[in-house]
Amino acid sequence: MNNLKVDALVIGGGIAGMQAALDLGDQGFQVALVEREPSIGGKMITLSKVFPTLDCCSCITTPKMSAVAHHPNITLFTYCEVQSIQESGAGYGVAVLQKPRYVDVNKCTGCRQCEYECPITVPSTFDRGLGAYRAIRVPFSTAVPQKAVLDIDNCLLCGKCEKICPVEAVDFNQQPETFSIEATAILLATGFELTQLGAKKEYGGGKLPNVIDPLMMERFLAPTGPYGRVLRPGDGMEPTTIAYVQCAGSRDQTQGIEYCSRVCCMYAIKQAMLISGALPMAEITIYYMDIRTFGKGYEQFYQNAKAMGVEFVRGKVASIREDEKHNPIVKVELTEEGRIIERTHDMVILSLGMIPTASPSTFGLLPSSDGFISLPAINASPSATQRPGIFVTGAAGGPMDIVDSIVTAGAAASEASAYIRNKTGIGVAQREVAYA
Amino acid sequence: MTTQQTPQSRGDMLKRLREQHAATVERTQVLLREQKRVQQEICKVIRDTPKSVPEIAAAVNMPANEVLWYVASFKKYGLLVEKGMCADYPLYQKAEEKK
Repeated sequence: MNNLKVDALVIGGGIAGMQAALDLGDQGFQVALVEREPSIGGKMITLSKVFPTLDCCSCITTPKMSAVAHHPNITLFTYCEVQSIQESGAGYGVAVLQKPRYVDVNKCTGCRQCEYECPITVPSTFDRGLGAYRAIRVPFSTAVPQKAVLDIDNCLLCGKCEKICPVEAVDFNQQPETFSIEATAILLATGFELTQLGAKKEYGGGKLPNVIDPLMMERFLAPTGPYGRVLRPGDGMEPTTIAYVQCAGSRDQTQGIEYCSRVCCMYAIKQAMLISGALPMAEITIYYMDIRTFGKGYEQFYQNAKAMGVEFVRGKVASIREDEKHNPIVKVELTEEGRIIERTHDMVILSLGMIPTASPSTFGLLPSSDGFISLPAINASPSATQRPGIFVTGAAGGPMDIVDSIVTAGAAASEASAYIRNKTGIGVAQREVAYA
Repeated sequence: MTTQQTPQSRGDMLKRLREQHAATVERTQVLLREQKRVQQEICKVIRDTPKSVPEIAAAVNMPANEVLWYVASFKKYGLLVEKGMCADYPLYQKAEEKK
């Protein structure tokens, strides 16, 4: 693979990375986008709807995924991992590992015949392990690129996929390959992960089948979800009493996560409203310490949820255990009344906290006290890191929602644009502007 | 990243890969046998009458959450279909074989 020279390298193909790449590409800069998964889309493509508008997530994300893939100024690298970042000339030299797909992307048409022929079924990470896909598959229905990937660690090596492929795209000869990208600026959009479902032993330690994380509920609520409806994962029952436990992974010194994850109140309220639509008879309770509805239209959204009948109970959940039918029993201290009660639900969702996906040290950067990438001039230059020319967007810099991720993508692209022009001495007017 | 292979060399390559990934192949062979066994048992239970996940789980003597994972997988790949509800549980029946 040839080495590439670009104006900007975006690391991470979630909503923030895609938006930053599009903003820079539209200004005429040459951009490379590197994504570690076989498809771009990030966390957002797995979600059902966004708050506070309840717009369909796929309807927002899929056009951006497609725009990135077809943009004349953006070169997309999926299933790649950044190995190292070294200062080089006027910018950075980045070593990138291309992991083998065992499928020739230039030949694959995404017909999925290999997937249907493959005899091995494995838990789908896209569905948080609740659904299934095959050892060779197109990652999900709207994946970009719409190309198959073979999971060699779960492959029988039976060769059935190779035999059925009508375009002879399966290629067992592929090897990992390293190539380099020279970039004047780098934008980090490495996103977040949730804290572990089993982190708190008091909440079942991840062993109670009907205590789940919020991204699992997102998949249940999405039209492409593993069951095609909301069912509890313990036994496939349509739940009638559902509870949310707020601050189950944030604002918690025992887990070393003292910060607020900022999005949990809103996604719990959003999911409660969506469940009310999907299961009109369901009783939904949200156990909370404080409700934080800071964004535009968020407080009204919260008031709407209350008006719809979602029950908000102020208190701190001490523990969760289950009865003989695997119904979670929540023990909660009602902080305003000063008493402790126990309530049984069909299903409980733990509003887990957000932690960074990538360690800042991977990019030669310092972490701030919360473990996310340090932003030394957050008021004056909110995307700049301590390394000149490396900028941060989205949840790589700290917990944030989709609205803020898109705003910071614009900010990072703008700062990177000014930096590139300064560094290279080339004005935008001299560049070929896309969509002029 | 692609290399053109003759049929002979492709066969050789698969053989070589199987040797390199012997532990994976052994593990996935065991997994495949288990998945086929479970598939046969579940399909037998739901061949004629739609059943809920707990009913299937009792019939095949497996935890209900594991049965649900198989049911989700079979539904995705067209091996079974939903056939109404019984109380709070959806019912599943084996899909008709495509001719």
